Amino acid sequence: MNKRNQDQLYSQLLQNDQVGKPDSGIEERLMYSYLLKSRVSKLRQNSFSSYFGWLLSFQNLGLKTGLLSMVLFLSVMNNHLSQSQGSINGSDTLFIQRVLLADTTNFIQPLDSIRTDSLN
Amino acid sequence: MQQIVSGDHAAFSELYNRYKDRMYYYFYRMLNNSTENANDFVQELFMKIIAKPDSYNPAYAFHTWLYSVANNLCKNEYRRRGIRLEYQQYEASKPDIDFLNETIIEPQQVIEKIFQTLDQLGEEHRSAFLLRYREEFSIREVADILGLPEGTVKSRLFNARKILAEKLNYLKDEIEF
Repeated sequence: MNKRNQDQLYSQLLQNDQVGKPDSGIEERLMYSYLLKSRVSKLRQNSFSSYFGWLLSFQNLGLKTGLLSMVLFLSVMNNHLSQSQGSINGSDTLFIQRVLLADTTNFIQPLDSIRTDSLN
Repeated sequence: MQQIVSGDHAAFSELYNRYKDRMYYYFYRMLNNSTENANDFVQELFMKIIAKPDSYNPAYAFHTWLYSVANNLCKNEYRRRGIRLEYQQYEASKPDIDFLNETIIEPQQVIEKIFQTLDQLGEEHRSAFLLRYREEFSIREVADILGLPEGTVKSRLFNARKILAEKLNYLKDEIEF
């Protein structure tokens, strides 16, 4: 027998070989197990346990460090920008405005009074 | 597989029905033609898929991956039983007398003779032979499934063919299909 004939013979023999089918109970057991597994995984998906588990574990330390440093940087920058020198909040603003107005009045009045005094 | 990971019941059912008969045949022939073993291992194989569906690497064809998992289960079983069949220097012998005296040789008898011969060669030869001739995988695919170089697969198939040819040469004109 040459190789080709032999290959064809084996293929034909094995393709036609019938040894039966698996037990039908297997499918039922597998489907039940699959149902249980998918329910458990859905419960896990809805909980925060996996997230906190990841957060507190030593996995992806680089990523966690990067995220943490980014959050710190943003909070520091935000705090820094919000404290600009021109803006004064609350009662301080009123107090300063009042003082400035009073100063201006005082500053102008004596000059005027000096001028009028000198003229007289 | 993504649907199975996300919990799609119908997807898993379809997958099972598509592969159950093929996997049953593979386990049956790999594990001493035992119906009980074949049923147990089909169940174990699909239980593995349920337990760890993400262990499948989408870079490979699904059926190749499935057969490699099945083959690993068979290897573990052989190891567990401690009946690893070493390659036996097989001396080609004439077929049994009663086998020759049959007027018409049924294909099923030839198949049984083939598997008897493959049993003597060992499970490595049997797995390569089944994957190549029953499942019609290419040499490369068989090599991927068994985790072997292509040359080794070719060599195992060559050995199996050589010894089977010596056996079946007596029968080639008498086989009826």
